[in-house]
Amino acid sequence: MSLHKIKSLSIKDFSKPSAQLAHVAPEDLYPLPAPYDKLEDQPGWKQLSEDSRNKFEATLDDTLVVNVPKPESKEEEDRLVKLFISGLEKLFSKENNWTFLQPLTLSMEHCARCQTCIDDCPIYEASGRNDVYRPTYRSEILRRLYYKYVKGGNSWWKKFNNGDIELNWTLISRLIELSYRCTLCRRCAQSCPIGVDNGQITHDLRKLFSSEMGIAPKDLHEKGTVQQLEVGSSTGMNSLVVKDNVEFIDEDMEENTGIKVESIWDKEGADVLLLHNAGEFLAWPDNPGAFALILQEAGISWTMSSELMGYDGVNYGLFYDDVQFARIALKHFEIAKKLKVKKIVMGECGHESKALAAIGDRLGQNIPREAAMTLMEEIVFSGKLDLDPSRNDFPVTLHDPCNLVRSMGVVEPQRRVLRHIAPQFREMHPHGVRNYCCGGGSGWAIMSHNNFPDWRVQVSGRKKFEQILNAFSDVDPGPDTKKYVCAPCSNCKGQIRDIFDYYGAKQKSGLYYAGLVELIVNAMTKVKPGFINWDMM
Amino acid sequence: MTFLNLVVYATAIIFVVAILARAIRIAKMPVHVRWELYPVPHEKGRAHYGGSRLEEVDWWTKPIEKDHLGELKVMIPEILFLKGVWEHNKKLWTGSFPLHFGLYLLMGNMALLTLSAVLQIFGVEIAVLPTLITNIALAGCVIGAIGSVIMLGLRMFSSDLSKFSTPSHFFNILMLGAIYVTGLVWVMDSGFAADSMKLYSGILTFSATPSLSVIAYWHLGFSLFFIFYLPFTHMTHFFTKYFTYHSVRWEDEPNRPGDPIQDKINPSLAQIVTWSAPHVGADGKKNWVDIATSPMPELQKESK
Repeated sequence: MSLHKIKSLSIKDFSKPSAQLAHVAPEDLYPLPAPYDKLEDQPGWKQLSEDSRNKFEATLDDTLVVNVPKPESKEEEDRLVKLFISGLEKLFSKENNWTFLQPLTLSMEHCARCQTCIDDCPIYEASGRNDVYRPTYRSEILRRLYYKYVKGGNSWWKKFNNGDIELNWTLISRLIELSYRCTLCRRCAQSCPIGVDNGQITHDLRKLFSSEMGIAPKDLHEKGTVQQLEVGSSTGMNSLVVKDNVEFIDEDMEENTGIKVESIWDKEGADVLLLHNAGEFLAWPDNPGAFALILQEAGISWTMSSELMGYDGVNYGLFYDDVQFARIALKHFEIAKKLKVKKIVMGECGHESKALAAIGDRLGQNIPREAAMTLMEEIVFSGKLDLDPSRNDFPVTLHDPCNLVRSMGVVEPQRRVLRHIAPQFREMHPHGVRNYCCGGGSGWAIMSHNNFPDWRVQVSGRKKFEQILNAFSDVDPGPDTKKYVCAPCSNCKGQIRDIFDYYGAKQKSGLYYAGLVELIVNAMTKVKPGFINWDMM
Repeated sequence: MTFLNLVVYATAIIFVVAILARAIRIAKMPVHVRWELYPVPHEKGRAHYGGSRLEEVDWWTKPIEKDHLGELKVMIPEILFLKGVWEHNKKLWTGSFPLHFGLYLLMGNMALLTLSAVLQIFGVEIAVLPTLITNIALAGCVIGAIGSVIMLGLRMFSSDLSKFSTPSHFFNILMLGAIYVTGLVWVMDSGFAADSMKLYSGILTFSATPSLSVIAYWHLGFSLFFIFYLPFTHMTHFFTKYFTYHSVRWEDEPNRPGDPIQDKINPSLAQIVTWSAPHVGADGKKNWVDIATSPMPELQKESK
């Protein structure tokens, strides 16, 4: 029972200036299972600093992602408002937004405002049902602005049908932040009987701010797509650094498995161009190492590319800017063509898989692409690897990355592999296409400014943490029984890592996480036992 | 012909033209990037768990099999029984289902009345028709009226709905409620079946409509106004749902060499981009392909 009364918000409240529109108190949060159910045992929630509040527009809620500086004058505010209106018009033009115009217009014009979708949003639920995080709240604001500034017609009629809202800088600055309080997981879209997609509306709001106003979180834009286009990777690594890292990874793999592993670079005419999320090389080197070992032992003709961007499958443009998205995706296609490979295989990265396999499909390049899950399934069941499932005889559950599962329909290959090699595999509930987002989707897992990491662990990641705990409710809850969360996505792993670190879940509950390929290698009889080394995870 | 004839014809024309105009506007929008959402029910053998052809190794070399019956299996319970609302929002379903189902029954009744008028032209009479017409209209009006009352209550008193409701939401429910209540009073009249059959016959044959009771005129007035007004509201979701499902949620046409989708996208790629942010590099001349394939403009700090 919440002690703090959550303030009810109307749509019109959004443009009324105030110090802070919405607040989530720790006691509002959806309760977690034991031993994480006592508020007093929680690590607490860092408050946004006064300095941040003074420098940036921070009147939405308790945290800050985009860091929009406060305008210096009324003239500056007016200029930004005008720029927003011109962006709004462009968002609904086929010249600038052919990519999403039809879905966006359909969602704008046909919502019944029935709120059927709200309970499907893990953020809304975790926040104690705070109005500002309803999937419909930001959509309704954009809808009212769309009717007011883009659609023609009598203004009385428009207000009668769609309501009204005052457009001012307060609204815009809050809307910028609010467009980053949704992970674009699209779970709400599944439950809409009409087919309205609030995730897509949020995506297009972010696009308006980026493509017209030049406003986007630094982690996605400057350190993300811009750095990737300029340096080759959003990690900041150039090809020499990556190749060096991979050399070390190969050496470690030999030491840990007893098998000499040689990663292959720039092999023309290979069957497979393997494109990892470059974050794996730094944060989870066992993952690309395991890929290399599996492909080598299965006799697959494969390569990686050391060209600019050829070694990083990340494409944060997917989350906020179509132009940046297209630039990166086209470069990936071009590299594959140049190497004359038969197909691109995307590593364990959900958004990379969706970017290349689905969204990038209509950029006219026609290079065959597939997610790693399918290739891994084929290899595992081909008999090319001798596997001993008893090596994986510990509780394993599977996290479904939204981009891979809900947006691509790649559901079963990874499950068939797990059922084959992990005797204690169990599902989370719900799972598959009805999964819950890890809470770090749409690039959030790499955003660590201000107190946002606390917010995304406590609020957006809450439902996932509950699911993970419940998935292991039938085994010893303590740390002596090691429990493995298989998360075949770099972004999701980053979020799950942060959740586990925040709650001390490794120490308290024996919770560990990694990908699918690590489990496959761990089960290979040719490999020295103990590839999965709990002490090193 | 009577004044009522003219009003009916004008309303029907406005309705059809406005619906067609909206449908054409939506259908003519450019083909967008893929944005499907699983489960996609035409995925043969995989729809039940939400899988797709992307689960297969080298999927692009294999024939694409679509299960169109699978789409119907989803759409029919969705349209008839509002299955999605039942699964995700049972409270709303208690009002929304009867509100909609009453309308379906009245539409079914309109079809029966049209059939009876056509049969009459050919001198055919089916004895059971008047009873059927009366009972379906009665059921529709009762169920619809119950739905209207529940929906009005939810829109007014449920905090989830009230803060998102606009004046038109209340107006629409009141309008539907008025149709159901006036219809119910008219159906109670012993002459309902005969009068309504004569009315349809007159309308279909462009001849004079019969003189009706006052309540019948109120019912017709509300109904005709609703039909005239509906195409200009969000209630067009009754047909735009086709687009949200078939053109977005379930639209998974791949773009392999030789696939027709590329020809539909090419015109969009040739359009001039005008986004203003410096990193886009739009200069009023570059099209989508130019922008996406040219190096990113030297980045000064973008204005924030």
